[in-house]
Amino acid sequence: MILLESHNYIIQTTILEKLQKPGSLDVVFVDFDNVRFHLSTPQKKTLLVLSMNIRCWDELVQYGALDVLKREYGSLVAGYVEPEYNVSLEIDLEQAPTDAESREAFATSLSLLKRNALAAPFELGFTTQKQLENSSGQGDLMQIHYRDEEAMYIQAAPDRVTVIFSTVFQEETDRIFGKVFLQEFVDARRQPSIQNAPQVLYSSRDPPLEIRHVPGLRNSEDIGYVTFVLFPRHFGNPSVASATISHIQLFRDYLHYHIKCSKAYMHSRMRHRVSEFQKVLNRAKTEVATTERKTASGRTMVSR
Amino acid sequence: MSVLAPIICDNGTGYSKVGFAGNSDPSFVFPTAIATRGSATQTSRAPAIPAKPGHLASKRGVEDLDFFIGDEAIANAKTPGYGVHYPIRHGMIDNWDHMERYWEQTIFKYLRCEPEDHYFLLTEPPLNAPENREQTAEIFFESFNIKGLYIAVQAVLALAASWSSNRVTDRTLTGTVIDSGDGVTHVIPCAEGYVIGSAIKHIPIAGRDISQFVLNLMRERGEMATVPPEDQLRVASKVKENYSYVCQDIVREFRKYDEEPYKYFERYEGEHSVTGRKYSIDVGYERFLAPEIFFNPEIYSSDFLTPLPEIVDDVIQQSPIDVRRGLYKNIVLSGGSTMFQHFGTRLKRDLKQLVDRRLDASAISSGSTQKSSGVEVDVISHKRQRYAVWFGGSLLASLPDFYTSCHTKAQYDEIGPSICRRYQIFGSST
Amino acid sequence: MVSISFFIQFLLNNIYIQSNVLRPYLAAVRSTLTAALTLENFGSQVVERHNKPEVEVATSKEVLLNPLTISRNENERVLIEPSVNSIRLSIKIKQADEIERILCNKFTRFMMQRAESFIVLRRKPVPGYDISFLITNTHSETMLKHKIVDFIIQFMEEVDKEISEMKLSLNARARIVAESYLTAVSVQSLKTISCV
Repeated sequence: MILLESHNYIIQTTILEKLQKPGSLDVVFVDFDNVRFHLSTPQKKTLLVLSMNIRCWDELVQYGALDVLKREYGSLVAGYVEPEYNVSLEIDLEQAPTDAESREAFATSLSLLKRNALAAPFELGFTTQKQLENSSGQGDLMQIHYRDEEAMYIQAAPDRVTVIFSTVFQEETDRIFGKVFLQEFVDARRQPSIQNAPQVLYSSRDPPLEIRHVPGLRNSEDIGYVTFVLFPRHFGNPSVASATISHIQLFRDYLHYHIKCSKAYMHSRMRHRVSEFQKVLNRAKTEVATTERKTASGRTMVSR
Repeated sequence: MSVLAPIICDNGTGYSKVGFAGNSDPSFVFPTAIATRGSATQTSRAPAIPAKPGHLASKRGVEDLDFFIGDEAIANAKTPGYGVHYPIRHGMIDNWDHMERYWEQTIFKYLRCEPEDHYFLLTEPPLNAPENREQTAEIFFESFNIKGLYIAVQAVLALAASWSSNRVTDRTLTGTVIDSGDGVTHVIPCAEGYVIGSAIKHIPIAGRDISQFVLNLMRERGEMATVPPEDQLRVASKVKENYSYVCQDIVREFRKYDEEPYKYFERYEGEHSVTGRKYSIDVGYERFLAPEIFFNPEIYSSDFLTPLPEIVDDVIQQSPIDVRRGLYKNIVLSGGSTMFQHFGTRLKRDLKQLVDRRLDASAISSGSTQKSSGVEVDVISHKRQRYAVWFGGSLLASLPDFYTSCHTKAQYDEIGPSICRRYQIFGSST
Repeated sequence: MVSISFFIQFLLNNIYIQSNVLRPYLAAVRSTLTAALTLENFGSQVVERHNKPEVEVATSKEVLLNPLTISRNENERVLIEPSVNSIRLSIKIKQADEIERILCNKFTRFMMQRAESFIVLRRKPVPGYDISFLITNTHSETMLKHKIVDFIIQFMEEVDKEISEMKLSLNARARIVAESYLTAVSVQSLKTISCV
């Protein structure tokens, strides 16, 4: 698995299962970026309530998240909101589609709830760019503080949309691995096959010019800023735009996932190497005649 | 901001149970299997090291990301180029490379969480070597940077799970756990959250054997003739799961069935997995004989002949004398193979008989006129038995003490993996 | 692509040159270590009926011999501290940059974590070095002396290679990861171009 998927596996499987066989349910689970979900059947078995808590909800609403969700889910968006959560969907299983294919599609669309909520600022950015096309000037800088210390900034300009991620590395190893990875993101575009990819810029401590005026930015060793420059070709038609959004919004998780995978790979390399060294050292041991040792009751002792 | 729910990860030999604390069921239950490139029989555990630097430019280098876990691994078993491995053997982690990648995909693909934000509760079998804990901690803290880790013994979690039963009034971590899964059954005595390692006993009869036994019985009665051979074991295990129960008296039960077969015989309808041909079979004596192999093992195996109640009694008698009362009073069932109806009642009755007989014998042999007040024997069955270990973890991890009992990343960085050799026992009110 | 193969060529040359320079260095370590491995059973002079590695406890000065440093350059050196019943050998491993430093640190930590099975490995390095070995007279009696030396030399040879390989594979991974991410985005846009 190289790329991360954007749908939530638990929502998808649970909804499909409950469509087959309704039953009472009350589960909590999470998604990347501090998103919490609560899926329950408070009133009756066929009425599922899916609530989501997302850290930057207020900011997202400001950029039109509710409209996006209304567009995607229509009447499913509940008029009330469960306490401690930001948005609730009401899913009436009796009114859900019945054939297998559209059930699948229905479950998948529900499992994209977090993706759709986070897509709002991107879509706003893309439309702002369209409006600005024939004028000069810049769109507003949208800030989405999706994690405690990390944020996403989106700004539209007449010819492009800039997306900036700030990412914090909690550990020394992560910081150094992260640097290697980000450097490759910058360099990879030289490959002819991916010249169409968005341009990536990276700076390790200083925030890029676009967001330098934002108050409260940290300027320490463990923070990095990644800038994606998206041109209209990346969001020209709606299907491309939605694919771009799905990928870009998972960028941070993708990066951290791969840092962790490489650490796991290093571990397996080291395990292999250490066992090789062990063999070399074992050659030094002189052969000791091993006699089988037995206890009084006749059981053998095995050393592990 | 509220803390995200801790993750409970119970990796067993056969199945892994993974989910979030606070829920009553694991979010995922899938086989502890990993399908990787390369054949399953390959003995060398060498990771794919690029042999020559010249190959680096190709896709070599991320081969270790090309794998499947859980149900997908089983589904890919037949795909050419993939081999299925089971990283856990006899409850202990056997192949750390595979296990690390297994966890990696569990976290990122299935749970979809950033491990840096979560506390983790892992389980280990009793008598696990402390080195294994250290290696686990190394993986979780160094590769995944998790916030905090708690490693609990499975038996202790099974005890905690029994608190959900309304018959349990005091939340104690003293008791005997009978844990019967697919491969093997353990009887584990625990005193105040610590396992009494010297008294643990294993019984080589578990789920798989029961299914096999049901299969044998049905073949003898000629019922399996209509069932395609490749489906037979599956049908047998379905029959076991859906129709079996524990009877109180085997002779009377036989008589009941013979008198009124139509009342007691059940019908199982099946369909051939490939051709779709329907078949149906009668389910008879198997219904009560299947779980009977715990109580009369001689009907199934000729090597192992000690009934379960006797084993439990032995285990408790081998434990220190001052905890024996507690152990008799709180016998807890865990695992799928203890789910048979009336299993607890039967076990309790047989065990009580053993204990009373011994008390009487000692009263006679001592010639004393004073009489023992008796020993209370109780077997706790509850609704969460199937995933008891996982549920116990979920219960404990939702207590506020959980966070203080965990070792955090900062502590790990300060002291090193050796801190995970010891964990504070918590949650018990005694 | 050109730059990569060029880089690898350069690296191979580098290794080739290294091994030529490396040989005398390792030879020096080998002969020094062999000479130093003349250990005898020697009880403590301070505590009755105790037998401790003198180089570690350093309670009686007269049984300690002069420590010796073999240096290849400022970043790579070996310290050998002999004594009457034990010898301590510490290695400073080459670390050219941040990445190598972290990888080296990870690797030595990983190995020292498993010191139990590496009988001669010390759980902590001597300050200023990356990894230390402690060989006592018991080791030299129960194990073949020249094979212990072989082990240490082989370790020194391979640890550099392993670290630079790890670094290369990290870079390769990073490249693949970046490429697949960007491809995923750009393939989509290529499609639009063809559509339009």
